[in-house]
Amino acid sequence: MLAVLALSLGIASASASVLPAPAPAAAPMMPAAAPAAPAAAADVQGKTFAIATDTTFAPFEFRNGSGDLVGIDMDLLRAIADNQGFKVDIKSLGFDAALQALQSNQVQGVIAGMSITDKRKLIFDFSEPYFDSGVQMAVAKNDDTVKTYADLKGKTVAVKRGSEGETFANSIKAKYGFTVKALADSATMYDDVKAGNSVAVFDDYPVLAYGVSQNNGLKIVTPKERGSSYGFAVNKGQNADLLAAFDKGLSNLKASGEYQKILDKYLAAPATAQKTSFFDLLVNSFPALMKGLGMTLLATAMSLVIALVLGVLFGFFKVGESRILRILANIYVEIFRGTPLLVQAFFFYFGLPQLTGQPLDVLTAGVITLSLNAGAYMTEIVRGGIQSVDPGQLEASRSLGLSYVTSMRRVVVPQAIKIMTPSFINQFVITLKDTSLLAVIGFAELTYQGQQIYASNFRTGETLIIVAALYFIVIFILTQLSNVLDRKFNK
Amino acid sequence: MSTTASGATSKISVRNLKKSFGANEVLKGINVDVAEGEVVCVIGPSGSGKSTFLRCLNKLEDITAGTVSVDGFDLTDPKVDLNAVRQHIGMVFQHFNLFPHMSAIQNIMLAPVELKKMDKAAARAKGMELLERVGLAEKADARPASLSGGQKQRVAIARALAMNPGIMLFDEATSALDPEMVGEVLQVIRDLAADGMTMVVVTHEMGFAREVADRVIFMDAGVICEEGAPEAIFSHAEQPRLQDFLAKVL
Repeated sequence: MLAVLALSLGIASASASVLPAPAPAAAPMMPAAAPAAPAAAADVQGKTFAIATDTTFAPFEFRNGSGDLVGIDMDLLRAIADNQGFKVDIKSLGFDAALQALQSNQVQGVIAGMSITDKRKLIFDFSEPYFDSGVQMAVAKNDDTVKTYADLKGKTVAVKRGSEGETFANSIKAKYGFTVKALADSATMYDDVKAGNSVAVFDDYPVLAYGVSQNNGLKIVTPKERGSSYGFAVNKGQNADLLAAFDKGLSNLKASGEYQKILDKYLAAPATAQKTSFFDLLVNSFPALMKGLGMTLLATAMSLVIALVLGVLFGFFKVGESRILRILANIYVEIFRGTPLLVQAFFFYFGLPQLTGQPLDVLTAGVITLSLNAGAYMTEIVRGGIQSVDPGQLEASRSLGLSYVTSMRRVVVPQAIKIMTPSFINQFVITLKDTSLLAVIGFAELTYQGQQIYASNFRTGETLIIVAALYFIVIFILTQLSNVLDRKFNK
Repeated sequence: MSTTASGATSKISVRNLKKSFGANEVLKGINVDVAEGEVVCVIGPSGSGKSTFLRCLNKLEDITAGTVSVDGFDLTDPKVDLNAVRQHIGMVFQHFNLFPHMSAIQNIMLAPVELKKMDKAAARAKGMELLERVGLAEKADARPASLSGGQKQRVAIARALAMNPGIMLFDEATSALDPEMVGEVLQVIRDLAADGMTMVVVTHEMGFAREVADRVIFMDAGVICEEGAPEAIFSHAEQPRLQDFLAKVL
């Protein structure tokens, strides 16, 4: 549990598929009865494996202009899968989240530019190394004061949490007298340096080199440190067949030269990105952002419908006469109003599957989280609305001989709805904005798509302006519409 | 006061009724019988328990102790269907309590349509009859917000009559009205009395009580202090408390 809650709050993670993906493919199914002929090794042919990866660890994994997940890891994994005849369902979750997903068996493997370390070997089985990395230091392009580690004295450097860069920085920080600040992803690190909060970053050389080529605003100032090797990981003692297939495929690709071709594509001479205009950015990012907006609206709509049902149910519990139901409603409201939405999202996506063994796809987990959270607020809105109707209304209705239920339905609720409508519209806007928090569990909504875009083009400010404008426009239109409907029906 | 077995002529029979709100005992043992067709006016200073007593007669207030029988139904018996009993008792409130989201006629039609499953046309015809009776047929489709206080209360009376109750309860029906509107409401109540309706009327209108009541009950501090014919109460008060009260209000 603690590990789940300790997850980074940084960049997002998501199912690579934009549409609600079915629950991650279960571990390869064994045929009900073993075939007569002894299968030498469990076969991976034709099976689909869910593989988790980082959101942006360019050039290993990132989204290209059209929103597709590409990079060395991605190309390599797909080529190996082709070579070995299995299929992969790639889940772009973020580094920490990918490891969590693997440990909770939401996925069968992780490929995320992950260094093979002794500590990790205790819980994961690794493939043969597929890449040898090394750490370099980079500073802001216009910074001429920091050229060596010695220049870092008294300064702060940014590293990516759990990365080789972090390990290396920690190993020399005492010697050179600097402070290490761990952040969740590369784009955030670069922004931290550009904003002047940190003076330098330590990151794997291919990642830094790629970022610099994409105008991330940094320059590399030190030579490459001897680094570790990257490997593909599965849970210890599980999915040995998948691991074996990966190794076999890797050696086939190396032999055929395809492996080198993939590396060259991203490392030899990455095309230096031309700085394009804001309008180009808008046009290029529009399709991905629209997909994200669609998911935002879908999650909002589903969550609000469920939240409304919960709110009405528990709201009536709260004003009703049963003590037990009142207590039940109170507990529900206190729990979901008294804990952060982010913690709830982590719990339903990572925590609950570990407790129940039943994985939840990210849309389901996200909608459950938002519904229960918004439902708690809706409960209070419904309670407040009903209680603000003059008690004389219920008395007059009961005195006519109408039952409690009929009185509520015909007399109290119609008046309460009128009182509640502005609060409902408000909650609707809040829930719509709260969907952005689901980016951290990798729900591919609008904010997440925005993060994906600036993670590969490093144009954080401009991208966020576009994202914010989209939220603003949609919320403005929908609230105006709600107000018109309110005036029309609640005269 | 009839103490004989629940008299066939007794529409309402209250025995040793007590009502407490927490530690505060508001009614301290009330005994009343109301005969069919009788008009009983309840007077007394504010806080004397008049309204609470009235609200116990259709169990809008839970009864702490004692019994209340209406039309032969014991309201303290948990097996009694309160909703059915309440259809026989119309109630009119100080603040009208009209349903603001419904027109005057819809206010009146609500109970017949919901409870008698009367079709809307029949309920509307019946509602129009009642509105005519209170002189407001032309306001059938008006929302309560557009009616004056006196008109609201007349609609509320029509609504209370919609289920053809045998008993009407009035809880200070004119207290919230501007003085010039009191008359029109009292006239409607007077007409009901003339038609032989059994009524319990909590009121501050002493002239009205004297004119319409068959019997006047004076309540003070949660007990019935004195009761009798209007003439006896208003002209020959025995209790000093009643004399004090009348001296202040008359």
